[in-house]
Amino acid sequence: MTFFAAFVVHRVRRRALLAVCVGALAIAAVWTPLSAAVAPPKLEYQRFTLPNGLTVILHLDRSTPIAHVQTWYHVGSKNERPGRTGFAHLFEHMMFKGSKNVEPEQHTSMVSSVGGRANAYTNEDATVYWNTVPSQYLPLVLWMEADRLGSLRIDEQTFVSEREVVKEERRMRVDNQPFGNLNELLYKNAFTTHPYKNPVIGSMADLDAATIDDVRGFFNTYYIPANATVVIAGDFDVAETTDLVTRYYGRIPAGLGKVVRDIAPEPASTKARRVTLEEAWPLPAVIVAQHITYDGHPDSYPLHVLAKVLSDGNSSRIHKSLVYDKRLAVAAFGGANLIEHPNLFFTVALVSPGQSPADVEKALIAELDKAVAEGITDRELQRAKNQFARDYILGRETVQEKAGILAHAEVLHADIKTADGEFMIFQNMTRAEVQRVAATYFTPQSRLVMHVRPRAAGTRP
Amino acid sequence: MSRRVFHVVQSSLVAAIGVLVAAVGLTAGQRGLDALRWPTERPPRPLSAKPVKFPPYQIRTLANGLQVVLVSQNEQPVVSARMLVRAGAAQDPKGKEGLAMLTAALLDQGTTTRTSAQIAEEIDFMGGLLSTGAGSDLSFVNTVSMKDGLGAALDLMADVVVRPAFSAQEIERQTSQAVSSLKVSADDPDTVASQVIDRLVFGFHPYGMPSGGTAESLGTLVRQDFVEFHKAWFVSNNALMAIVGDVTADDAFAQVQRVFGDWAKGSVPAFAPMEPPPAVKRVVVIDKPGSVQTEIRAGHLAMARRNPDHLVLDQVVKILGGEGGNRLQQVLRTQKSLTYGASADLDAYKLTGAIVAETDTRTEATVEALRTVVDEFFRLQRERVYEGELEGAQDFLAGSFPLSIESPDAIATRVLNQLFYELPLEDLPAYPQRVRSVTVDEVQRVAKAWLKPSQLSVVLVGDADKFMSGLAGAGFSNIERIPIADLDLTAADLRRPRRGAGQ
Repeated sequence: MTFFAAFVVHRVRRRALLAVCVGALAIAAVWTPLSAAVAPPKLEYQRFTLPNGLTVILHLDRSTPIAHVQTWYHVGSKNERPGRTGFAHLFEHMMFKGSKNVEPEQHTSMVSSVGGRANAYTNEDATVYWNTVPSQYLPLVLWMEADRLGSLRIDEQTFVSEREVVKEERRMRVDNQPFGNLNELLYKNAFTTHPYKNPVIGSMADLDAATIDDVRGFFNTYYIPANATVVIAGDFDVAETTDLVTRYYGRIPAGLGKVVRDIAPEPASTKARRVTLEEAWPLPAVIVAQHITYDGHPDSYPLHVLAKVLSDGNSSRIHKSLVYDKRLAVAAFGGANLIEHPNLFFTVALVSPGQSPADVEKALIAELDKAVAEGITDRELQRAKNQFARDYILGRETVQEKAGILAHAEVLHADIKTADGEFMIFQNMTRAEVQRVAATYFTPQSRLVMHVRPRAAGTRP
Repeated sequence: MSRRVFHVVQSSLVAAIGVLVAAVGLTAGQRGLDALRWPTERPPRPLSAKPVKFPPYQIRTLANGLQVVLVSQNEQPVVSARMLVRAGAAQDPKGKEGLAMLTAALLDQGTTTRTSAQIAEEIDFMGGLLSTGAGSDLSFVNTVSMKDGLGAALDLMADVVVRPAFSAQEIERQTSQAVSSLKVSADDPDTVASQVIDRLVFGFHPYGMPSGGTAESLGTLVRQDFVEFHKAWFVSNNALMAIVGDVTADDAFAQVQRVFGDWAKGSVPAFAPMEPPPAVKRVVVIDKPGSVQTEIRAGHLAMARRNPDHLVLDQVVKILGGEGGNRLQQVLRTQKSLTYGASADLDAYKLTGAIVAETDTRTEATVEALRTVVDEFFRLQRERVYEGELEGAQDFLAGSFPLSIESPDAIATRVLNQLFYELPLEDLPAYPQRVRSVTVDEVQRVAKAWLKPSQLSVVLVGDADKFMSGLAGAGFSNIERIPIADLDLTAADLRRPRRGAGQ
């Protein structure tokens, strides 16, 4: 898919913002309802733990002679100390700067020279390192991953220069593109206490303040076997791979032991809040957000269904109302950001030229209120179930995707069985349950309304 | 393009496996002791390689000329279908830029048998996906469905491909959306930089024109334009498609026959655009005050996809800025910490192509980063590449072959590409051997012939006041400075004509 997109269809315009819209007329579909969604095949796995605490998960998939290794460290931006925002991600960069037997940047170049790919990402809850290689190179990847967990080089000069790269990353992603800081503004205003208020990329000041001692401390605290989960997916021999994992990772000491997770919870929001800001954006934006629960909470599944009904596909409520029927917005969408700790259900609209942000706000809130007052229809519920089945199936096509699903279940749900178990939770969902959850969370007192107005071109804050 | 995809840690020249590293980390404390105890050793040897074969596929053709690629694989209960029509933004008539793009956007906005809302409801309800769009040389419609929904998805696809309604109401709606969207993209330095470099490299050749159109060009489009574009190009003998996934080739082909069997043939219009202009060194600064970074592009004209030297030039450009090589990343990121990502691409299309390098850097470092990019073009043209460096690029290209055929979609894509560019299908399974057959001598010959560093065009989008004065000192002259609000990609001088002003 990616190959094609990059190669042939190189000038497809960006659909996200240039949202192309859909039908105004009343729904009179001729499609015969599906009685039940097609189920994905079961995701088989083996799981074991080494004496030093490392969790290992194996998933066999012999369809192509490749192997994927994905390592999750259960540490993300929410574990950062005050004044050190962005550190988890900055540390992720340091993991490519060499270990006892691997030179700086050599991890990537070795993987690349055998025709593989390696990269990493950091989010609020976890830091994830991944490699996909032709399967005969699985030993190399396991050896390199264990080498950096067992013997990372921590060098001040490297740290200082890599920090400049991360600052460029922040400029590129956040500071130098239209709407690049939308997320940051939303979270800064929605949270008062919990570290989800901070951006994963961090602030320039905090990046500058970080020291080499922080790197050491972070490594010793969070990069220990008991805080890591290694998933190996693809075409390999189980006994041989178990031996390799035991040999390379088994020699890493257990380290400090248990990771302390004393993260301050966000106090319940007790009154509706409004914020109006100015940014150098080309169009005004309106965001309405509601505080919700965490990923894996029983209420999280109905919230996912609400997100689908409100914003999956051109027939979804927000797109149909704001973009197609009323033409209030160039793009409008919403979602439930369900992650490890309680987070937000958000709706966003980029206001069409000539339309009023106040009308856009009303239209977004009307959709949330309608879900509370009227719930959803049988047809919408079945559509959401079919869309879930699709997402499940399309999300399990590659070894990388399969490994990610297993790791997510193991690390963030602390229950690997949820990797498959959630399918039936969605398929058994009822309208009453969805409406109850809408009424629980879409309340005025847990709501933030944020207006962002364009600042005149060329002027500075 | 690729920069945004693989830049997170992509870097560094190839270091052959087996390099022994002696230095010990500078860690202190408990983990430092671990490091001292940690064994010094070489990387493990690879296991024995498993045979990699290009997976089976079939190509069949309907009586009306529609070519169909079929790939059957039942790992997941899903089927995807893709339709390619051999016409895209390059076929936009002059002054009607954006026509192909908007035609594609209108395909799923109502047909002679379904309203826009019905199409959306139908595909969403079945848990499917439907997308339409246009590139430079092609337009496409894709669907994804569960295995039991293939027939319904293809009904929908045939309807939007063959029988779009182009209703006045939807044209008005889509056009106004597209004009609003231009307001956003005109403010995005990344998009602007890429559009301007295409315009500089390809001139007024169709590849140089904005494929999304301009507010003016979109304003001229009327229903007749869409109807004619569709009628001329959307004919069965000007299209090819693929069906891949959990369906047998026979069943899939029968479904295609059922929904596309009566799609009419047509006489495809002759198409002979002007030649692109010879490479001209042009340096354009798009001024966007307040920017914290400068978007940098440097490029020149290269070759079409079918050129026999494409295989070699592709490796040259990989060494400059691609996966498995990437001198630009090595120098700009790893050595100088000037950027998060740098890359170069060989964009080889149907009619011609370009080599474009791209990066972004903090405003203060603009001149240094630009000079470095240009110097790397010179160095690659002047000096032989190292044997090991070429091997590195080849190791990646050849070695990643199994990764590139993991999903049925990826397999179909490779076959479609060969058909679309009229390249030999035998090249597909032979790709790793073909890659490795390229020698350092050939790389040098092709680099000398095709790299034109002294004719590179340059685009900088950023806060011009902060770096303009440094450009002359770094060897850049005849700089055209244009405020971002005045940019007009359809004008020879790239400037919007001033209305009512004295000049």
